[in-house]
Amino acid sequence: MTSHPDDSIPVIDASVHIFFDGAADMRSYLQEPFKSRGIPDYEMSMYGAPGGEYAPGTQHPDGRYPGSDPEFVGRHLFEELGVAAAVLHPMSKGILPDRHLNSAVLAAHNDMMVSRWLESGTYRDRFYGTLRVNPDDIDGALKEMARWRGHPRIVQLGVPLQSRDLYGKPQYRPLWRAAAEAGLPVAVHIEVGSSVTTAPTPSGHTRTYAQYVGFMALNYIYHQMNMIAEGVFEELPDFKVVWADGAADMLTPFIWRMDTFGRPHLEQTPWAPEMPSHYLPDHVYFVQSSVDGPADADFAGEWLRMTGKENMVMFGSSYPHWQLATVDAFPPAWSPEQRERVLWRNAASLYGIDIAAHAGGVGVSGS
Amino acid sequence: MSIVRDARPAGREQVVCHVDEIPVGSHKVVPIGRHGVGIYNVAGTFYAIANYCPHEGGPLCSGRVRGKTVVDSERPGDSATVREGEFIHCPWHQWGFELATGTTTVKPEWSIRTYPVRVMDQHVVITA
Amino acid sequence: MAITEIHERTAPPALKPIRVVDSDVHPVPRRGATLEYFPEPFRSKYLLSHPIGETITYDAPDYFYAQAMRVDSFPTDGEFPGSDPDLAFRQAILEAGCDIGILEPLAGGWYNDPDALHAAAIAMNRWQDAVWLSSEGNWHQRWRGSVSVSIEAPEAAAREIEHWAGHPYIAQILIKAEPRPSWGDPKYNPIWEAAVRHDLPVTCHLGRGQYDNLPIPPVGLPSYNHDFMVTYSLLAANQVMSLVFDGVFDRFPALRIVLVEHAFTWILPLMWRMDAIYSARGSETGLRRKPSEYVKDHIRFTTQPLDYPEDRLELARAIEWMEGGKILLYSSDYPHWTFDDPRWLVKHLPESVRDNVMYRNGIETYHLPETVPALEGQTQVVF
Repeated sequence: MTSHPDDSIPVIDASVHIFFDGAADMRSYLQEPFKSRGIPDYEMSMYGAPGGEYAPGTQHPDGRYPGSDPEFVGRHLFEELGVAAAVLHPMSKGILPDRHLNSAVLAAHNDMMVSRWLESGTYRDRFYGTLRVNPDDIDGALKEMARWRGHPRIVQLGVPLQSRDLYGKPQYRPLWRAAAEAGLPVAVHIEVGSSVTTAPTPSGHTRTYAQYVGFMALNYIYHQMNMIAEGVFEELPDFKVVWADGAADMLTPFIWRMDTFGRPHLEQTPWAPEMPSHYLPDHVYFVQSSVDGPADADFAGEWLRMTGKENMVMFGSSYPHWQLATVDAFPPAWSPEQRERVLWRNAASLYGIDIAAHAGGVGVSGS
Repeated sequence: MSIVRDARPAGREQVVCHVDEIPVGSHKVVPIGRHGVGIYNVAGTFYAIANYCPHEGGPLCSGRVRGKTVVDSERPGDSATVREGEFIHCPWHQWGFELATGTTTVKPEWSIRTYPVRVMDQHVVITA
Repeated sequence: MAITEIHERTAPPALKPIRVVDSDVHPVPRRGATLEYFPEPFRSKYLLSHPIGETITYDAPDYFYAQAMRVDSFPTDGEFPGSDPDLAFRQAILEAGCDIGILEPLAGGWYNDPDALHAAAIAMNRWQDAVWLSSEGNWHQRWRGSVSVSIEAPEAAAREIEHWAGHPYIAQILIKAEPRPSWGDPKYNPIWEAAVRHDLPVTCHLGRGQYDNLPIPPVGLPSYNHDFMVTYSLLAANQVMSLVFDGVFDRFPALRIVLVEHAFTWILPLMWRMDAIYSARGSETGLRRKPSEYVKDHIRFTTQPLDYPEDRLELARAIEWMEGGKILLYSSDYPHWTFDDPRWLVKHLPESVRDNVMYRNGIETYHLPETVPALEGQTQVVF
């Protein structure tokens, strides 16, 4: 794994997905009455990737589930790839209609993440955590936050991209308020598993996986514009959101649109009186996706500067998914300063990660 | 029509009409400049603004005067309109401009030319 | 006895080269005007027996007064903007300076019965022909019209296309964006077939909708007109991905699509995204070419509503990067409130693409002549 020659820039991987090693493993972290409930597995039936969900090389030699063994994952990230630190994001079993069950399952994932990845094992000092909470159960989410309040290695909350309503709506505000008060960004990511949700596009189903992958992540734009118009960022200056499925490129045309078309509508939304783009800096972030553009175009650096994306995008592998992102796929036309921001500065600043404590000679070097 | 005796309009000042021609809450477009100037009577105070929207050149003074929406949590719907009649909205894209200043809070740099207006001997005088 | 007839020799009308093609003008029927064209039993079942009032949701600014229209486009007879062909001609052609206006009637009525939707399309087409494309209505030869079809009834739609193909003033087929499923579904093949057989582009204008016909986002309901309409472009983005990844352009290599009023700057990053997915998923997609090549060869986008950042140079760069000179068509959207005047719009285009976007692409797309009869007093848009 190489980047530029003579390059020893530290790398923070802002999105590593972790899983239980099978259903029995998960149930060992549940108590009754949830231990006996019907809970789906991680794989998505209709929306799973043909040929398999996970990238080659992520399968554990002992047959353990990809992303379930901290030693295996840590060795790969920190020894083989030379990553300095990684933010873990537990994936869950689906948007379950019974919010009580869903909250219990998420809490089990949080317990597993803390005990297995953050508080034990060889690499516990390199891993940071995402606390999964359930937006369908605000009371339960606030209690889960209280349960883990002050944990030094939990750096953000995690909620699903799929939702019954857009995240600007009032029912979610107490959760964003609590996140802002706790200084925790909220990462939004496509939930895997058997979710009970609407079809993934505004036209219903897709006939191909390519169209599903192409569209699904773009659903963040509906949430983002609604959060602006509903005044989430106006009310909560400390609130930060991380769109963890990427597609930062789409923010540029859509915020142009929101500014141009939105300006005469500000009369309808006095709780969000500023131009929409005003609310982006220091509020909106992205985990870079491997299908983000514009690849090797010579204007890639100029494009990244537009809309301030160079301050928003963070490298994240999304290990162990098939869309594994790597640092050597960065657009060559990015400036060295842009590379640094994406490789570690934006994440270090957002999550309060002290890179000096991790870097110490470790970096991504040419070989 | 009374004759102006002792206080004659000065400099580029122009008498445009009698005050009775623009009752409170109404406006009149006078042929000054390339697109005309709209003279507005807002609760007894006169304002003058160029009849040309800086966005795409729409006929600004054909639009409606409105107030400004503010948050008011005491009311159903959480909003109230204040300062009625102090803002002109372009009839094309509904961009709103404050009559007194030709600008808005949301984008102060996008402004419209306004003109000093005064009343002298029952006549509306604008400096243009 | 021979009779000598004397005829005044009249000079042929002066011609002017087309410099502005407006790809989106909205004619609207006067109240009750489509009734005579509406086939039975739908006329009695829906129009005569079931009066409905205002149905607006997601209202544009000052809706009660402006009705989402340019306030200066209301005719004096109390009818709706776009209902008076003379006023439309005066404002859209003479004052704005557009040489050709492509008419896009938005077929009214949202019914759950595909046959009723088809009947509404038939009515719209007949009305358009009688009022706007007749020798009276189109005396100036500046209007071109659309064959409105309901894609919910593809076989019937194909028959309607057959009926109007060859009409000298019909320029395109017109469909809506909202019906499900997305366009890659083979059930729509009869429409694409008819389109390529007659070399007519299939144009899609957004139609909003009512109830569950709205393109309801998967993750929840927008609250206001601006978060609704801004994110509306994602519907078009999804349709583009369906056309590409479902292989519609491999099935119909001569098919041409025009997306109207869906905005366009989003197609730049979408092309990168599709190309990256195509590259990553390989043979699974079954495509013969890169997605961005399909887009540039088969799809056109109108410029209205023009969305731009504070730094206009960024827009100019984006237009260059997307090969805007190839894929963009100027449009005004007269008489809607989001109207873009051609004199204003052309200034925002990089000089290198102005001729293409303002008229050359339009002439090519709609098979227009190079010249039209000149009109006295028409604004000349200079660029």
